[in-house]
Amino acid sequence: MTDLGRILMVEDDPNDVELTMTALADYNLANEVVVTRDGAEALDYLYCRGNFAMRTNDNPAVLLLDLKLPKVDGLQVLKQIKSDEKLRMIPVVVLTSSREERDMIASYRLGVNAYVVKPVDFHEFVNAIKELGIFWAVINQPPPGSIRRKDLN
Amino acid sequence: MAKPEGSSRTVRSVVLRYGLAVVSVAIALGLAVFAQSHAIHRLEFPLLLIAIAITVWYAGTMPGLVAVALAGMGFDYFFAPPLYSLYIEPADRPVFVVFVAFALVIASFAGRRRRIERELLDARDQLQREVAERTQQASLLDLTHDTIFVRDMGDVITYWNRGAEELYGWRAEEAIGQRAPELLRTVFPLPIDEMRAELLRAGRWEGELERTKADGTRVVVACRWSLRRGAYERPAILETNNDITERKRREREIRTLNEDLEKRTAELQATNKELEAFAYSISHDLRAPLRHTVGYTELLQKNAASSLDPKNRRYMTLILDAAKRMGNLIDDLLAFSRIGRAETRTVRVSLDQLVKEALHDIRPETEGRNIAWSVGPLPDVHGDRSMLKVALVNLLSNAVKFTRTRAQAEIEIGCAAGDADETVIFVKDNGVGFDMRYADKLFGVFQRLHPTEAFEGTGIGLATVQRVIHRHGGRVWADGVVDRGATFHFSVPHA
Repeated sequence: MTDLGRILMVEDDPNDVELTMTALADYNLANEVVVTRDGAEALDYLYCRGNFAMRTNDNPAVLLLDLKLPKVDGLQVLKQIKSDEKLRMIPVVVLTSSREERDMIASYRLGVNAYVVKPVDFHEFVNAIKELGIFWAVINQPPPGSIRRKDLN
Repeated sequence: MAKPEGSSRTVRSVVLRYGLAVVSVAIALGLAVFAQSHAIHRLEFPLLLIAIAITVWYAGTMPGLVAVALAGMGFDYFFAPPLYSLYIEPADRPVFVVFVAFALVIASFAGRRRRIERELLDARDQLQREVAERTQQASLLDLTHDTIFVRDMGDVITYWNRGAEELYGWRAEEAIGQRAPELLRTVFPLPIDEMRAELLRAGRWEGELERTKADGTRVVVACRWSLRRGAYERPAILETNNDITERKRREREIRTLNEDLEKRTAELQATNKELEAFAYSISHDLRAPLRHTVGYTELLQKNAASSLDPKNRRYMTLILDAAKRMGNLIDDLLAFSRIGRAETRTVRVSLDQLVKEALHDIRPETEGRNIAWSVGPLPDVHGDRSMLKVALVNLLSNAVKFTRTRAQAEIEIGCAAGDADETVIFVKDNGVGFDMRYADKLFGVFQRLHPTEAFEGTGIGLATVQRVIHRHGGRVWADGVVDRGATFHFSVPHA
């Protein structure tokens, strides 16, 4: 694992954050994860404003996006990203509890790159997170301008 | 008196008329000659005048003139010297001229008199004809059940038919002479001047009026006014009415029913929306804590299993099992609610094919089992393919589950005889069956007839089947005997 893409996770539930981080930690993926707790904060991060005004102006390699979020919900964040010339290349994975078809359809309409329903079973959950992390942060070649650990070194 | 028709009749009439002239003058001359031979003189003059008068009277002017000419010649020939010659002595000529003039005067008077009388008679006949026609029209108007009456420009009723009597309860003699708006206590929908202006402009007005019958009940009538503007007749308004009270009442009823329906539909839609929000919330919010319970318990199991005694390890397993069952319940409940909410898309569905797919779907449950399947030839039905598949999967999985205790399970799927307008499908097994006393509980949500330890399940499967079939307008029912197997039927109406 020479270079590791930065994962931006947008998740309001601290339990989910912890479980996800635990799953990623098992595979050494956790130290390149940035967590934002609602849609507004996620957009702040992407636009380098507010608390993130000082960060380097690079995009994350992947965005793990929950749909049900305080303030700005996941679909709105997705819409904003996919309609912004600078952000639209960021791969976005919706990671949600919702099995509802309309959420899925709405997400794909807005151009989501993957839609994953969080499994109830913990093993499955861990596997899903692991595979997502490995695929998007390691295997997938992210678009130019993404933050990679190698670049930081 | 009809005019003579056909030329033969006219010819006969002409012959008769001129014949009358000849005959009457001849009779007069004959009588005069006869009288003279009996020494009664000076009778020829009045006799001939009578003959002329009779001719003019009955045969008209032209035969009258002929009679005058004939009488003149006859008088000259038989009575004016020289006798038996048409020569008239100069001394007699004034007398002769006076005779002819007198005869002409008589003829003309008689002719004029006759003409006037004939005209009068004609006029009378014409009148009689018209009266007969009008009487017939009036009686025809009377015969119709439609309400018809006529009023003059001052709204005074001048004609009132039987239909009007029947509708309003006023007899013709009571109504005629009365002003219509007062008699019928008419409620006009528009200012009366506007209605009159429309009537005068277009010659007609149509609309609905509210009126009162003689007995005081209100009626709504569809009105049609037609303005009569004859050259010789006084203008009048012909009014035809239809009683639409009942129709109006029904319309109102239907409107009320529709409004109720719309309201209820709106309420239902609101309820559905709420349910949808509820289902969404279950889908999203209830699963998260469940996932966390399972997740942390498993982490705990992983990290602390070695330091726990068997009893506590068992507790942990129980927590996990319970949480997983909760997860299944939520999933089933969501699937159940989705069937209620989803739009149905009706297509032709091959049940043969659908059963094959359902059997494929439940393969994890049938693996390692000894099941004798008997799938009869199944027809095509019209319905929502994915929903019908959900129903079949549930029924088959049910049969597989409840035959688990059998060394050799037998499951039969077939088409049963039903009503002509529906297809009835059954799934029969030789499983544990059920007590018919509880048959009504089979299809309820969360209703179970067996303890969870014996047969796992959420108690939603058959409720889902029922919901699918009800959405197709069909029925579900079951027969069973404890320990002797069960048969589940469902019907799908023909499209």
